[in-house]
Amino acid sequence: MNRSIFVGLIVSGLFLAALATLRAELLAIAIPLVIYLLYGLRGAPQVLDLDIQRFLSAERVYAGMPVIVTVTITNRGNTLPELVVEDRISSGLSLSLGAPRHLVLLRKGEAYTFSYTVAGPRGGYAFESVCAEAGDPLGLFRLGRTFHTTGQLFVFPKAARIKDIPIRPRRTRVYAGSIPARLGGAGIEFFGVRAYQSGDPPRAINWRASARHSVGRTATAHESLFSNEFQQERVADVGIVLDGRQRTNLFGGGRSLFEHSVLAAAALSETFLNQGHRLGLLVYGSYLAWCLPGYGKLQRERVLHALARAQVGESSVFAGLEHLSPRMFPVESQIVLISPLTGEDLKVLVQLRARGYQVLVFSPDPVAFERSILQPTPAVELAARVARLERDLLIRRLQRAGIQVIAWDVARPFDQAVRPALRRFQVPQHLGGII
Amino acid sequence: MTLVALIITIILSTGSLAWGYAQAGLDGLARWILIFGALWLIGLWRRLAWFSSWGLLAAVFTAGLGLWLEVSPGWLLAGSLFALLAWDLTEFRHRLSLAYFDDDLAGLERRHLLRLSLFALGGLTLASIAMIARLQFTFEWAVLLALVSALAITQLVRWLRNSK
Repeated sequence: MNRSIFVGLIVSGLFLAALATLRAELLAIAIPLVIYLLYGLRGAPQVLDLDIQRFLSAERVYAGMPVIVTVTITNRGNTLPELVVEDRISSGLSLSLGAPRHLVLLRKGEAYTFSYTVAGPRGGYAFESVCAEAGDPLGLFRLGRTFHTTGQLFVFPKAARIKDIPIRPRRTRVYAGSIPARLGGAGIEFFGVRAYQSGDPPRAINWRASARHSVGRTATAHESLFSNEFQQERVADVGIVLDGRQRTNLFGGGRSLFEHSVLAAAALSETFLNQGHRLGLLVYGSYLAWCLPGYGKLQRERVLHALARAQVGESSVFAGLEHLSPRMFPVESQIVLISPLTGEDLKVLVQLRARGYQVLVFSPDPVAFERSILQPTPAVELAARVARLERDLLIRRLQRAGIQVIAWDVARPFDQAVRPALRRFQVPQHLGGII
Repeated sequence: MTLVALIITIILSTGSLAWGYAQAGLDGLARWILIFGALWLIGLWRRLAWFSSWGLLAAVFTAGLGLWLEVSPGWLLAGSLFALLAWDLTEFRHRLSLAYFDDDLAGLERRHLLRLSLFALGGLTLASIAMIARLQFTFEWAVLLALVSALAITQLVRWLRNSK
């Protein structure tokens, strides 16, 4: 019950009793209560006129890094003898130092500043409001107000560094990059020999071929010359597809493979963008989260923001992947899927491959992950063996369909686990052998 | 500091009421009032914040009943006044628990206790007038008044020194 109402009821009771019994002494007992009530009423805040500023030491950090939040409250109204102010922080963030709630006396025109430190796991956190509640000196009358503020903190997954990811999509873009484009021009790798053209540098002339071709022929000097041609290297379209399906990622005890997949996506996107590729991201969990293709640092920010917000969810959209938008993932571009994989994914991936996409799958090993969290009983061992066989069979089927699969045990860091696999990676023979 | 003040007010509240009842020859009721005071203190120890509201209600009711039973009004007024202060301090303790340890808790406590001390002094003055009017200004009453006055003046001096 409201305190002022409680005191008021007692006073009313005493007044009624005094009237009923015609005893004035009862009024004397009520007098201190009345004075108490009036004193509280006199100091009751009429309006909360506060100016609230919040400053975050960083708005984008990597997981686990502390962020200092500084809040300054300026009182533009009358003196507030007891002001409780609380900066509402998201439940995902943990407080490591200080407190977001304070009780202060704030005089007219005075400012009060407090700081606290938070840290949190990957995610996007909004600082939307600051709650203030002022009261009279006796705490009888309280006035609360929520001040809406702006502020966002993004905690990004910390990406491991991967030097190079060998991909070779059929289609490349016009800009120079690192993917052999199967087109003659400026480059490093030998591509072929063609007739000399005016303007070719002398060191490009293939003297051996020119000499062999000119034997027994009468021709002008230009007609008997041949130049070496090199393979152009260009950037490619890369689409990362991150599997956020609940049924593939969540295991007993609330443990999830998804965080490992997100870290892998961050590392891969960092590497692809560093190589100059045009990168797009699709996260499919409870809904489809698109990050349209783009280049450079801006795209890296977009991708990191999307990864920070990525959540596991349940939907059946994976089946729709076979109808990928060509705007998002141009046909014959490279698709990198990060998924623990299930048997039903085989058909979808094979269809993608049939549409001309180069598909590379990074698959966190769900069998090893689940086995590591279960007690090693004979039944678990047997089940793990069966699951392992099924998974190996699935991976072989995918590989037979021309899909490159790199499986990694999440007990090891992503970069360390996949580096050897990337090094010995084989590209299908019809695409040019080892890369 | 608040806790000490709270315990003192509970003791003074139930003590004043019990003393007044005992003076009027109602020893049985005085004993029950003291038992209630002990329960209130246990409630405080067990952090039962709602007990203070019942304490205030019971104190005011006992004071009203005392008037009916011809108990000296000064003690009754003091009993209800200190019960009000105990109720206030219980809530104030709760409000302080919302604060961070780095806040100026000592300042808040000091200011609040000063207010309550002056309030208690004013209330007792009123009660004194009531007792003088009924010619019941006894030695025990003078001791209580002196104690509360000393407490209020100490708080006032501390506040003045700090505000300088």
